[in-house]
Amino acid sequence: MKTLKIGENTFELADSIINDLKASENLGLLKCIQCGMCTSVCPAASHTDYDPRVIVKRVLDEDDSLISDDIIWNCFYCYSCHSVCPVNNSVCEINQILRQKSIEKVDGIRKIASFLAYGDSFLELGIGSIPNDFFNELIKDIGEEYFELKIHLDDIREELGLGTIILPENDLNDIKKILKKTGFTDRLTKIRRVKKDEEDTR
Amino acid sequence: MNNNHFSRYAPKSSIDIGVFLCRCGGNISDTVDIERLKSSIDAKVVKDFENLCSLKCQKNIRDIILEEDLDRAVIAACSPITHEKTFRNHVAPLNPYLLEMANLREQCSWVHSDSDKATDKAISLTNAAVERVKYARPLDTIVRKTKKSAAVIGGGISGITAALSLAKQGVKVDLIEKKPSVGGNMIKIGKVFSPEKLAEECALCLFNPLINEAVQHDNINIITNAEVKSSERKAGNFNLLVEKKPRQVWVDRCTACGNCAEVCPIDVPNEWNENLMMRKAIYKPFPQSVPDTYTIDEEHCIKCGNCEKVCNMNAINFSMKTEVIPLNVGSVVIATGHKGFDLKKRPEYGYTRYDDVISQMELARIMGVNGPTNGKLQRPSNGEIPRRLVMIQCAGSRDEKPEGKRYCSKVCCMVALKHANFIKHYYPETEIIICYTDMRTPGMYENYFRYGQSNKIKLIRGRPGDVTRKNGNLIVRVEDTLRGEQLEIETDMIILSEAMEASDGTLEVAKLLNVGLTEDLFVKEKHSKIKPVNTDIEGIFVCGTAQGPKDITDSVSQANAAASKVSELMNGGLEIEPLIAEIDHSECKLCGACIDSCKYKAVYMYDERISVDPIACNGCGICVAKCKNNAIEIMGQTDSQIYAMISGMLKDKKDGERRILVFLDYIGYVAADNIGVNRIPYPESVRIIRITSINRLMPKHIIHAFENGADGIFLGEYPDNVVYSNIQEKVHEFKTQLIKNGIDPDRLMYYKVYAPYFRGLAKKFYEFDKQVSKSLDKLEAVLYKASSKDI
Ligand code: SF4
Ligand code: SF4
Ligand code: SF4
Ligand code: SF4
Repeated sequence: MKTLKIGENTFELADSIINDLKASENLGLLKCIQCGMCTSVCPAASHTDYDPRVIVKRVLDEDDSLISDDIIWNCFYCYSCHSVCPVNNSVCEINQILRQKSIEKVDGIRKIASFLAYGDSFLELGIGSIPNDFFNELIKDIGEEYFELKIHLDDIREELGLGTIILPENDLNDIKKILKKTGFTDRLTKIRRVKKDEEDTR
Repeated sequence: MNNNHFSRYAPKSSIDIGVFLCRCGGNISDTVDIERLKSSIDAKVVKDFENLCSLKCQKNIRDIILEEDLDRAVIAACSPITHEKTFRNHVAPLNPYLLEMANLREQCSWVHSDSDKATDKAISLTNAAVERVKYARPLDTIVRKTKKSAAVIGGGISGITAALSLAKQGVKVDLIEKKPSVGGNMIKIGKVFSPEKLAEECALCLFNPLINEAVQHDNINIITNAEVKSSERKAGNFNLLVEKKPRQVWVDRCTACGNCAEVCPIDVPNEWNENLMMRKAIYKPFPQSVPDTYTIDEEHCIKCGNCEKVCNMNAINFSMKTEVIPLNVGSVVIATGHKGFDLKKRPEYGYTRYDDVISQMELARIMGVNGPTNGKLQRPSNGEIPRRLVMIQCAGSRDEKPEGKRYCSKVCCMVALKHANFIKHYYPETEIIICYTDMRTPGMYENYFRYGQSNKIKLIRGRPGDVTRKNGNLIVRVEDTLRGEQLEIETDMIILSEAMEASDGTLEVAKLLNVGLTEDLFVKEKHSKIKPVNTDIEGIFVCGTAQGPKDITDSVSQANAAASKVSELMNGGLEIEPLIAEIDHSECKLCGACIDSCKYKAVYMYDERISVDPIACNGCGICVAKCKNNAIEIMGQTDSQIYAMISGMLKDKKDGERRILVFLDYIGYVAADNIGVNRIPYPESVRIIRITSINRLMPKHIIHAFENGADGIFLGEYPDNVVYSNIQEKVHEFKTQLIKNGIDPDRLMYYKVYAPYFRGLAKKFYEFDKQVSKSLDKLEAVLYKASSKDI
């Protein structure tokens, strides 16, 4: 049996979420009535043992282990819970904030390491693009058209009068400066390091 | 001193004042030197007594007033809160308002121990009363006679109950109902539950006798098919114009045989049956309608004349016109009820998309013997008995999404249980599942909840997210939160427990009568704890679901409460202290600023004249400051009286003495008295002046006080939420004015007073006294510097 010791039942975790930059104004976290409406519409809950209502419960119970719990990575930000919650809570937003907290530790970085290529593409080309790693999967999912599209992208763009997708040198430099200033570049470096360590130990 | 400020009620050239001092059996005289006090008062008669409040003294005072032919009296004794009423009687034959009291006990002898200083203060307190009484005017208590008649708007259970109670207390009642028949929502629900008998009883059988009693009562005039179109307040009464739509059927001829409806070619959805079946354009809403007569629905009738031809009674007449009925009544009771939440606003539940998703009210009609299926439980889609039925609670309630209602509708848990128990009784094979967020069955209702459990109603704790259809079944998706499991429930029928919301009639009537609404759009009660049936307009009351979600039991008690509040106003009339706003019609330019400013909605325009409702007005004085034309005075607190009081309090101030004027409202004054009763000392500099509200004060008063020697001004008032924002504005205005006049704003302060925290008030007096002294020291230093420069 667990003993709830005096002074143990605080709202620090909840407060840190409510006050996070990412949380919408008047996030109804503290008002959650545990009705389960979010869970009833959550696709992640239908396919895994993830339960958005329980996420809220654990936050309100000051359960810090949540931050390093793999379960928070099951949500895929569909916002269904967000749109039905009767007290304007949003498990979707809560998850985003919890993951940031996790990324501040090594746990989370491991989780996002495979997305590194997205970031790299911003650094190199100034635009987002699908990492090569995912290429074959996408062809499987979408079909040969995807392959065709990728191969003939430049021709298609030209035909549509859209010009090349490559950014001019000046703009690219500006973007790089912004990414540097905002800490994006540093963050990528950090992720790369963790990823490398991981590969090395393996 | 500039006498020009003083307003039109100047004192007559010579006024003979008598000052009666009370020793209070030593309570006052042990600290205050009565002989020195007596010799310092300038009045025709100054006399001291041992116990002024005794009957013997009453005679003495009267004799002296008559012998000396006095015009005014001052009683320097205890707190007016304790004995003002007594002394007002003592000074007869003088008008009771020609008396002024100085509080020498609670606010002097009980809080100060230094006899010399206490005596000085007693002198100034008495002087202030003498100054002020010179400007007193004889006033008469206002006796408000309210007409012994009332209009009750709405003919549901609340309206009928209120009307009957009033009628039995001898009040003439006009009961106005918008629909062609009285009955309201209660007539539709079919069953009511009894938590004692654990049974469902016939609603109509309970309600019908009341309706019949109302019909037969000589004091009740039922006006159906009618709406209030305008309302005007006049001297505590209301002039209403009621528009009665034509029925096109003579009520006294129609025998309700129904021949007409048989030949009417027009079908209209029957609203009394939640549109689940049709009626004709000429119709009687339901079998027990009151009045028991057919009505033509003008909106749908095509005037084919078929009905007219078959009516043996010649009761049909197409040339009836809208009738306008003027009513003059003493009070209005709003009993305009509620309506069901529009479930289309929760599209995820599939209401109207699936035939077998219905509301609780629709289920009530289906279960009603006089309903569309003659009381048989059937699926609307195919007429079969449902094998399973799922009820979804809080549909539209406890929902902060834009279309939802934030509140708990209070009755739907019980309504769901009622229907579930009833169905279980007649259709034991039908499975019932209630998906709930919380089951709210307070008090005795818990009994009925357990009864439902023993009837094998299944309960799942979770609020469904959506309703779909799969393999011919409806599917409710919900999390069983107690197991932490996502669940799809197959079912034949879904009943949504719809929220209650204010009816359209409630909104219309509230707007028309100018009564306030809550954020949730119900009629706002004056105070949810102690004035639950008063609205913010005197003489208008509210009961039933127009005021908020509630069940029949609560509606009935509230209706009775509203009726007794009405009869309080009417029986014997009300005696009101005349200390209210008075309009000087020769100065008034009818700009209406006072109407808008009054937080108590006491000021209104009638017949191109501004009037003040003496019951509603509490003399706060907000309007006085807002009137650009100087056309309003507060009786008993005229400008001249306030100036006189201030000057009196500051008279004969000695060198180096500090005087702080403390203006307190009623609660503040009581708190100050409590300081005295508990003998808690505070600085002698404090001089308390009672006012109705800080809002009565204007910058000119404040400046006048400082010009005449006040060292500081302390304002204390209970932060009543009705006028609190005005107080804040006032204080800000005063501070700005002080700065403009080169006076340190630290010499004025506002403090929120609460009656039980009198110790806090005493402490504040000390602090403020210090603050003022500091500010004065600063000033001294500056002046000293300046003067030394001059030299
Ligand atoms: S829907 Fe909202 S209130 Fe209900 S359990 Fe989920 S987060 Fe809490
Ligand atoms: S946003 Fe995440 S938690 Fe919310 S419904 Fe979608 S998957 Fe579930
Ligand atoms: S009474 Fe029950 S169903 Fe109705 S709103 Fe309240 S909790 Fe929900
Ligand atoms: S504010 Fe003054 S002038 Fe204007 S309507 Fe009221 S009493 Fe008359």
